[in-house]
Amino acid sequence: MESVWIDLLVVFLKIIVILAVALGVGAYLTWVERKVAAHIQRRPGPMVVGWHGLLQPIADGLKLITKEDLFPRYGNRFLYNLALVLALVPATLVFAVVPFGPEFEVFGYKVKPILTDVNVGILLVFGLGSLAVYAIALAGWASNSKYPLIGSMRKAGVIISYEVAITFAVMGPLILAGTLSTYEIVQSQIEQKLWYVWVQPIAFVVYMFSLLAETGRIPFDIQEAEAELVTGFTVEYGGMKFGIFPLVEWYIEVLTLSAIGVVLFLGGWSPINIPFVGFVDPLFFLGPLSPYVWFLLKVTALFLFILWLHWTLPRYRIDQITEIAWKVMLPLALFNIVITSIIAPLIW
Amino acid sequence: MVKRMVSKPLSWIERLLFIDFIKGLSVTIRHAFSRTITTHYPYEKLTPPKRFRGFFGHKVVDGNEPQPAFDEWVERFNIQVEYGKSRCVVCMLCKRACPVPQLFEIEGKKLENGKRVVSVFNMNLMLCTFCGFCVDACPVDCLFQSDIHETASYTRRDSILDLETLEKIGRDWQMRREHEPDRIWIDDEQREKLWHENDLRLPEPEARGRHEW
Amino acid sequence: MPWAKEKDFIDLKERFSGLEIKELENSTSLHIEKGKLIELLSILKEEKGYKLFLDHSVVDLKEVLEKEKDWRSLTSSGLVAFPEDRSSRFQAFYILYNVEERKKVIVKTRTDGTLPSIEKLWFAGKWAEREAYDMFGIRYEGHDNLVRAFLWETYPYFPLRKDFPLEGIPEMDLPSLNEVFLGDPLEGTMNYERKHTLVPTLEDLEITEKKRLKKKAQIVLNWGPLHPGTHGTMWFLFDLEGERIVQCDVILGQLHRGVEKLAENEMYNQFLVYTDRMDYISALCSNQAWVVAVERMLGIEDLVPEKAKYIRTMMSELQRINSHLLWLGTYALDLGAITIFLYAFKEREKIMDIIEGITGARLTISYPRVGGVRMDLPEGALEVIKAFIRRFPKELSDWERILTRNRIWLRRNKEVGVLTPEEAYYFGATGPVIRGSGIPYDVRKFEPYDAYGEVEFDVPVGEIGDCYDRYLVRIEEMRQSVRIIEQCVKKLEKLPKDAPFFAEVPKERKVKLTLDGIGLKVPVGEIYSSGENPRGELGFYILSTGGTKPYRVKIRPPSFYNLSAYPHLMRNRVVADAVAILASIDPVVGETDR
Repeated sequence: MESVWIDLLVVFLKIIVILAVALGVGAYLTWVERKVAAHIQRRPGPMVVGWHGLLQPIADGLKLITKEDLFPRYGNRFLYNLALVLALVPATLVFAVVPFGPEFEVFGYKVKPILTDVNVGILLVFGLGSLAVYAIALAGWASNSKYPLIGSMRKAGVIISYEVAITFAVMGPLILAGTLSTYEIVQSQIEQKLWYVWVQPIAFVVYMFSLLAETGRIPFDIQEAEAELVTGFTVEYGGMKFGIFPLVEWYIEVLTLSAIGVVLFLGGWSPINIPFVGFVDPLFFLGPLSPYVWFLLKVTALFLFILWLHWTLPRYRIDQITEIAWKVMLPLALFNIVITSIIAPLIW
Repeated sequence: MVKRMVSKPLSWIERLLFIDFIKGLSVTIRHAFSRTITTHYPYEKLTPPKRFRGFFGHKVVDGNEPQPAFDEWVERFNIQVEYGKSRCVVCMLCKRACPVPQLFEIEGKKLENGKRVVSVFNMNLMLCTFCGFCVDACPVDCLFQSDIHETASYTRRDSILDLETLEKIGRDWQMRREHEPDRIWIDDEQREKLWHENDLRLPEPEARGRHEW
Repeated sequence: MPWAKEKDFIDLKERFSGLEIKELENSTSLHIEKGKLIELLSILKEEKGYKLFLDHSVVDLKEVLEKEKDWRSLTSSGLVAFPEDRSSRFQAFYILYNVEERKKVIVKTRTDGTLPSIEKLWFAGKWAEREAYDMFGIRYEGHDNLVRAFLWETYPYFPLRKDFPLEGIPEMDLPSLNEVFLGDPLEGTMNYERKHTLVPTLEDLEITEKKRLKKKAQIVLNWGPLHPGTHGTMWFLFDLEGERIVQCDVILGQLHRGVEKLAENEMYNQFLVYTDRMDYISALCSNQAWVVAVERMLGIEDLVPEKAKYIRTMMSELQRINSHLLWLGTYALDLGAITIFLYAFKEREKIMDIIEGITGARLTISYPRVGGVRMDLPEGALEVIKAFIRRFPKELSDWERILTRNRIWLRRNKEVGVLTPEEAYYFGATGPVIRGSGIPYDVRKFEPYDAYGEVEFDVPVGEIGDCYDRYLVRIEEMRQSVRIIEQCVKKLEKLPKDAPFFAEVPKERKVKLTLDGIGLKVPVGEIYSSGENPRGELGFYILSTGGTKPYRVKIRPPSFYNLSAYPHLMRNRVVADAVAILASIDPVVGETDR
């Protein structure tokens, strides 16, 4: 009986920590993005509010919260607000299955730094990921306006196409790991002394493309497309309601999918990998903190890479995006599965 | 000569290895680690070049009038010249040259000694296009355009320059910038930020003195 | 001068009985009756090779008909078709160009209110006719959809007619404009009028919209008037089937200021100010085109000092780079490559610095003057320009590394918005648009003005006329501009420092030429003179009755006619292509609307 209480307490603590980290980091990623974009474009970026604009996200948040709440005439208020919830909740829920590091002991009690190590973790990720399409479709529909409608239809089309590609893409690592649990996947990569990106480059490329498409980052940001659709489905949202969508799409989702990408392909919290030989840890002096730092570093690197892409490339057209999904990405992913499932049993 | 622009399709190697993306990414990363070029307005400000066409002003009589034009016009219109006051001779040429003449409101008055002097000179800058035709037309180098460009105000009234304001701007200008050489711009730190990568070395100004147009 | 000669049309005299051919100093015109107009135009197009439609508009002769002196001077110089006809109030003119033989001709006819439509011959004519209908109330027979080009459908007046007052007719109360707190601080002379000229209501706009487009598909998307993708205040109507555009039309006029009406009431030099505000991104080129037109009319083109010519050429090439940089930035921005926008603006800022230092203004420059330029170059100007052009090609190839071979860029631009050469003529396209279609039509080469005849440069042309070709052409044009600037700088360095920069006209010519242009009289005559703007051929048709103000100025706005191809290019494309095609045409609203 006592252990149940302790379990609950631990879970509760984990939830608080993860939520605080996810939302706080999500907000501060706006600052990171603005700084990165600015320096790529030879500007200093936010500089006025706080040291190098560090308080800018708070100022922005305050501004957005104090803005008037506008609502389009003849819109559907219930669905309009529901879309927000549907956008925010599934995106943050994904953090439940992100393993941040290896198991450790506190007062003789074993703690896994993952909220729930369910053995269908990856399935949960993509299940929740595809819920995002509801949020966007509802947001577009409930706004009763033409631009949001077009934007949301575009986004729905993209998500549906890339949901398929991404699911098949992660099949490769899953076959190699032989499990759906995120924690176990990292463990098996450590045991096999192999980051799966080395043997699954195709899957990784497909995964990255799908990540960009699902989160609406350039070159796939057609649902926003400020030049054509003036930020698409968020046109009729104002104040913090408007702020939530990009926050979720561009930061929290990118963060979760990068984390999952790190788990699947880059060995989670493991240090630098030499294929089939072992791991080299230049950060050994950090002791037990080293895995967390590694995980953080990898996610940050992936995030920065995505930003780098975002601020370099132009964007595709909707038909080209779906065309790539069905004609290039899906066959590639399927091919990858076939190859993997033929070769993997031979080696392992 | 006609130059045909041709484009060949991407090769397979470029496609497979994402060479095109890598090229672009290399450019952006190089820029990301270069110096920023922006001016941090309003904390830092550029100095406008001397030729800048900003707010108007009246130069005042200080002994540097263009001669003999000034004396001729003073004689022609029988103007009372007063040291430290506007050089205006009420010839109305600025109003004639202006594409929107309604913006000028110029009146002269007769003094007791029979001479004339400008009494009203209002410019409604809400109508102004800042083209500088009036400056070209001014025969006595009185009306000019200063480097004042931060002109936002709370009321429409502030956009009407009256004689007093014009003279004030003029005196200020004659003190600050009148004697600068006619140079494309003054090197300052802010401009240096932008032009740093161009290795620009402006030659030292040749002659100091008034420049006329 | 690149005008057709009388002998070119001798054979037409037999086929058309009433045809008159007038070869004047600055123009060659064919006078034809209204009934035979279409026949003559189609022969000129099919047989004589005058395929490129430049301009069409109308002159209201009301004031001339009323003033005997003006009428006599106009008719005696052969500027009016059929001078015996004193009842027809309007004179229509069509300006055509023969690209192969590099010849222009004006076709003139008289009318009192109706004209046959040339829509079948040149689509651009459809837009020109809409404009003439809007401004003069000319009815066009056989026109597909005769609506007002700029003003709203229920507007009761025709503003370019001579009996419409310059200030407009104040008849509307707009209380919000006159609302003031604490009394009126501007009580007195310098104030806005209490009554306002007509302003469209929402119902008016709805009628306007409905008249443009009959809905065929699912939804009509109002793309604009205020939309970041439209590069200004343009109002597009897309009839959408899904995301596919079934039909499309453009409602212009949100920025209409009546520049042509203003031109009739301004002195020649003062009108410079308005040319600044037409194509506000390439103000200097517009200035130059206007100034050259007036100089040609005065016949003092060869009196303009060499220094002024080279300065003008150099500055307008700088302006061309400036304008193309804005195009590149917004084009990339529209297609999602936001960073290029900032890079382009970085270089643009440098050009702005240069222009600001030389002329005193960044955007509305008004630097050239009839007879020269306003001021000599300041100290250090040439050094700065040299420093700029030394670095600029490097930056340009940087951007090309990001875009030109990028697979996304290629897919977004290749085979999108294809304009074939025949279509380019049909839509009256000029500038990079027609060059993208493979026709090397460049006014700088075909009809050199200022120092363009003396500098070397290439004219880039595209292959098939898609967005990608137009992109390549504009990028190459920037390189060529750098070449021209280099040559100009070299020449200017050789010229002595105190060389004149303003023309001195001998006394016997009786041309009063001053910097401010007060009292400059232009002899009776007409001219169509054009300059190569970054967006295409900016032409000025000027009709003078010998006063200080022109009688009629028709501006040929390049982006107006380039834009007329837009509905055609948009057919069966998706919304995402709308931005790509629009940005590759690169219209500027200040110019389309004037």
